[in-house]
Amino acid sequence: MKKLTLPYLAGLAAALTLAVAAPAAIAQERTLAVSGSGGIVGEMNTRFFAEPFTAETGIAVERLTSEGSRMAELEAMVNSGRVLWDVMEISASNYPLGVSKGLFEPIDYSKVDPEGLLPPGARAEYGVGAASFSHVLAVRTDQMPEGRMMSSWADFWDVETFPGPRALRNRAEDNLEFALLADGVAEADLYTVLSTEDGLDRAFAKMDEIKPHVTAWWTSGAQSVQLLSDGEVYFGTSYNGRIPPLAQSGLPVEIMWNGGALHTSFVGIPKGTENIEMAHQFIAYRTMNAAQMRQYMAELPYPGFAPGLYDGVAEAVTAIQPTAPANLEAQFSANPEFWGDNLEAIQERWNEWLLE
Amino acid sequence: MPRIFRHWMLWPALAMLLVFFLMPSVDILRASVMDPELTFRHFERFLERAVYMRVLWHTVEVSFVVAIVCAVIAYPVAYFIVQSPRRVQFLLLLLIFIPLWMSILIRSYAWMVVLGREGVINSLLMGAGLIETPVRMLFTTPAVYVAMIQILLPIQIVTCYSAMSDIDLGLVRAARVLGASPWEATRRVFIPLSLDGTITGMIIVFMLSMGFFITPALLGGRRDLLLANLIEFNVTQLNWGFAAAIALMLLLAAIVGIVVIRLAARLLLRALNGALAR
Repeated sequence: MKKLTLPYLAGLAAALTLAVAAPAAIAQERTLAVSGSGGIVGEMNTRFFAEPFTAETGIAVERLTSEGSRMAELEAMVNSGRVLWDVMEISASNYPLGVSKGLFEPIDYSKVDPEGLLPPGARAEYGVGAASFSHVLAVRTDQMPEGRMMSSWADFWDVETFPGPRALRNRAEDNLEFALLADGVAEADLYTVLSTEDGLDRAFAKMDEIKPHVTAWWTSGAQSVQLLSDGEVYFGTSYNGRIPPLAQSGLPVEIMWNGGALHTSFVGIPKGTENIEMAHQFIAYRTMNAAQMRQYMAELPYPGFAPGLYDGVAEAVTAIQPTAPANLEAQFSANPEFWGDNLEAIQERWNEWLLE
Repeated sequence: MPRIFRHWMLWPALAMLLVFFLMPSVDILRASVMDPELTFRHFERFLERAVYMRVLWHTVEVSFVVAIVCAVIAYPVAYFIVQSPRRVQFLLLLLIFIPLWMSILIRSYAWMVVLGREGVINSLLMGAGLIETPVRMLFTTPAVYVAMIQILLPIQIVTCYSAMSDIDLGLVRAARVLGASPWEATRRVFIPLSLDGTITGMIIVFMLSMGFFITPALLGGRRDLLLANLIEFNVTQLNWGFAAAIALMLLLAAIVGIVVIRLAARLLLRALNGALAR
């Protein structure tokens, strides 16, 4: 618990201090408040981005931990006119939500990426692509039938050949795509199919088949790996960065990249912060500095899009990255706009479906 | 109550209730019907889509069962503690308080270790050769019940105990002296006097259960969705209006539940009194 509690408490303490000392902090002007994930992700961000950024620019970075309630906190701050964050991590699914509510400042690309070196997908209007992550299937290799290996979503659905308990995330996003892939839909057609009522019915019908074999529907990333390591399930989805540590701990577990859902998370600027200039400076460092990003992704395989990122990276490090060419090829790109528009209605149906 | 008490002594408590309870509650009420203009669509949605009433019902059902089972288990335990010598009482209460100092999250995870496929119970049963394949206990509704009861039981025991420790046991003795059998003395004197505290405990446990969401999410099956889980989802989606509407429905259900518990208690008391009149 130490790992979990300490950054959380530190974040809480920092938030409290900031709340009390906010006017003073604004007057100082050389401190940047960055809101993002806690735990190992927060630690690695501090080590490979915040600390070297401070050493280079003299701007202190205060990292504030925010998790599930991040968007609710942001909206409350924007509405009350007291924005305490200058930069924030924006998860793939929160990006369209925040844009639709007008909670972010637009990015000035002449300050972040003047030469236009980032790929178009990373140059969003209100956020710069900072990390790729995949929602993938992880399998216990010791639970495979003799000489077989699970290699597609069709295999995950094939409970005859691959018997054993399974786990999926308790959300409609990605799972419906996985179901359609298992049902033979091509990656390129996923969202055209899902956009139709028939396609949605088809996805749920396919989910019906697997429902009795899914023993656990997880709600947090920590839980998803716990299920695999406790032996509760043999095949379960998780986030790609959580699997290598599990494998290093000695558990025979492997990622099935084929049919994985590739997401992009962003860094952006909360609406109404006073430190827009410094915020851009930090965002440029966080997203364009390949040297720092290489060190980061060697510890935590959530690579960004800095130009020349893969130059000179060891094969073993490349192999576990979601954007390594071979893995990129095997996965599909999740469509945050589709889910931004449809999550509420589809999740409602998902909940009904789970209760049936 | 000594006469020295003055109304103004209540002001700090009232001010706190006003600022931290009444004002946010009014705000939630406002958010549920003003989005941005006066609308009842959030409540209509709650009533129209089957999922919400089903989840509300499941939440109420789980909360009632947990409250009743806790009361049934806690009552004799509290009785036993009250009957013990003072020093032992202190020790027993300490033992009951210890689990309360651990976070609900940790206690829920502990249950995963106990109930899991490769958990303590399955390992023991398989090691003893009683079963060949693991019994599925985790990710079921009974797992949710077991954990919630274990988590909330200390609260019920302590509430029962504090009510019972106020009872003058001399009254029970007096009933015995006047010819009541031990069971009669308990039923006619001790139970009616301790009922209020037990009911208070049940109401506390019931209300806490209504707001549970971590434990069912970690230990329950796919049907163990409670209303608080849906509130959480809607808050993360910044859908404050609907989240507020769900919260109000939860509040309403909690109030109805409390009234039902109180009525049931009154009926029980009347039954005990009826036996007295006979």
